[in-house]
Amino acid sequence: MTAQSGSRPLPARIAIYVAALILAVYSAFPIYWMVASSLRPTQEMLVDPTLLPRSLTLDYYYSLLSQTDYPRQFLNSLIVALTTVALTMVLSIMIAYGVTRQRIRGKQMIIAGMLYAYMFPPLLLAIPLYAMFTSVGLDGTLLSLVISHLTITMPLGVWFLWGFFKTMPFELEEAAMVDGCTRLGAFLRVVLPLSVPGLVTVAIFAFLLSWTDYTFALVMITSDANKTVPLGLASMIGAFDLRWGDVMAGSTLIAMPLFAAFVMLSRYFVQGLTAGAVKG
Amino acid sequence: MTRWLLPGFLAVGVIATLVLIVGPALYAVSLSFYEIRSLTSAPEWAGLANYAAVLASGEFWNALWNGIVYAGLAIVLQVVLGIGFALLLNQPFVGRPILRGIAFLPYLLPTVIAVLTFKWMVDGSLGIVTILMDDLGLPPIYWFETETASMVSVILISVWLWTPFVTTTFLAGLQTVPPQLYEAARVDGAGPVRRFFHVTLPSLRPILTVIILLRGVWMFNKFDVIWLTTGGGPLGATEHLPVLSYRMAFTLYDIGSGAAVATLSFFVLMAAVTLYFRFFPIEGGK
Repeated sequence: MTAQSGSRPLPARIAIYVAALILAVYSAFPIYWMVASSLRPTQEMLVDPTLLPRSLTLDYYYSLLSQTDYPRQFLNSLIVALTTVALTMVLSIMIAYGVTRQRIRGKQMIIAGMLYAYMFPPLLLAIPLYAMFTSVGLDGTLLSLVISHLTITMPLGVWFLWGFFKTMPFELEEAAMVDGCTRLGAFLRVVLPLSVPGLVTVAIFAFLLSWTDYTFALVMITSDANKTVPLGLASMIGAFDLRWGDVMAGSTLIAMPLFAAFVMLSRYFVQGLTAGAVKG
Repeated sequence: MTRWLLPGFLAVGVIATLVLIVGPALYAVSLSFYEIRSLTSAPEWAGLANYAAVLASGEFWNALWNGIVYAGLAIVLQVVLGIGFALLLNQPFVGRPILRGIAFLPYLLPTVIAVLTFKWMVDGSLGIVTILMDDLGLPPIYWFETETASMVSVILISVWLWTPFVTTTFLAGLQTVPPQLYEAARVDGAGPVRRFFHVTLPSLRPILTVIILLRGVWMFNKFDVIWLTTGGGPLGATEHLPVLSYRMAFTLYDIGSGAAVATLSFFVLMAAVTLYFRFFPIEGGK
């Protein structure tokens, strides 16, 4: 199918470029419009907009960062996402390695539990977690949000790394242990370094899930001080005077780290998707 | 140390699974048997009363139906568009690597941003879509006010956000189909359409089975798109089970019924997945 492109007739080639243009506009236009609207002066927004803004302004970013809770929310999002990533890595590495290398009954239960967790409606987890956090006095904290994100990211990490460790020959660790490594040493010095691509993928998806989450934040976070960016942006929708420029600036700022990460690490994103480490 | 490393790792696994997954799920099911008016007052045993009330209400069946319509249409559109995009991105043309990246971008966005940008683009007076439609002489669409339009809105947003998942996974599958199969089909005189239906689709059937399963599970459970776009409205026209469950538990403060809806919705999904496996068994272990 891809073999003989040079001999393709002209109409077919034109059709391909037209389709490519449609795909590009469909995927990128809303994103472009978000960025453009965050830079377009208000008086220009009120008349018929041009495709390219006639002049650019950083007013919305300035007012967003100096007059709203946005910086605080950004920091909250960052704290929650990074903590979630760290805990996801530690837990899923330990569990996946244990499940792969140890032969005992009951490990099927762990794997099955992880699979079922994929199918849980978010509210089936959010309602009991909220009740549990309330009874221990953790309700409304960033930690409660981290723990609820773990219910999604940990199964994902275990599931993905389990597939990764399975393919790694046990002889590698045996050789290291023959050479005098302890089991832990063999794990840390041989298995983990070889697993870096898998670890990066899990970290990316854990970050993505936590950074973009709205549902759990809506249930868990009650105070303005602990709001994450998705929650903060969502509460702007209902505001009396909706300032679209501010909203689009806030949206652009939270999307940029994801786009930057994608540009640098796109191979891991694709690898994660095709191996089933995914966000819904 | 050496002897206890793996059992230790597994113990962490068992505890984490119990605390994070099994415990909350069982707790949710148990909450559904209680009448709980607030989290500070003592829950009262209600037996099956919450289930009886939920199943007797029109709301539950309305939400179930809306969920089937929403998930069903969103999945069909995602899969058809995703396969189309993947076939395109598998053709050689100038700029293909960049377009593959661009086609992935919507998947990275938080739902909130997609919803906000959509609302901004269709804003009644300043939205670019509204202005363009007006310029073309088309009648305005009230995206969130009529029943059909609001369902169309939530489906459009969902399709836009998650088509890249299908595109990327299907494209990865396309690259594993041996070119000899296409050569053989070509020699036999099969055109592009027949090659797609007789070579591509059968080769990618296992991948497609998994893609549809995953997308189906997620679309059925998806809460945020509908909640942020319409809140389930107008008049319940887009309310599906996750929104109903949230509304009962957190705006009506009837946690027992909210948990009952979540539990029922889980069992509906389990039944659907079991049925799906009956019709489309996934060959090999995955």
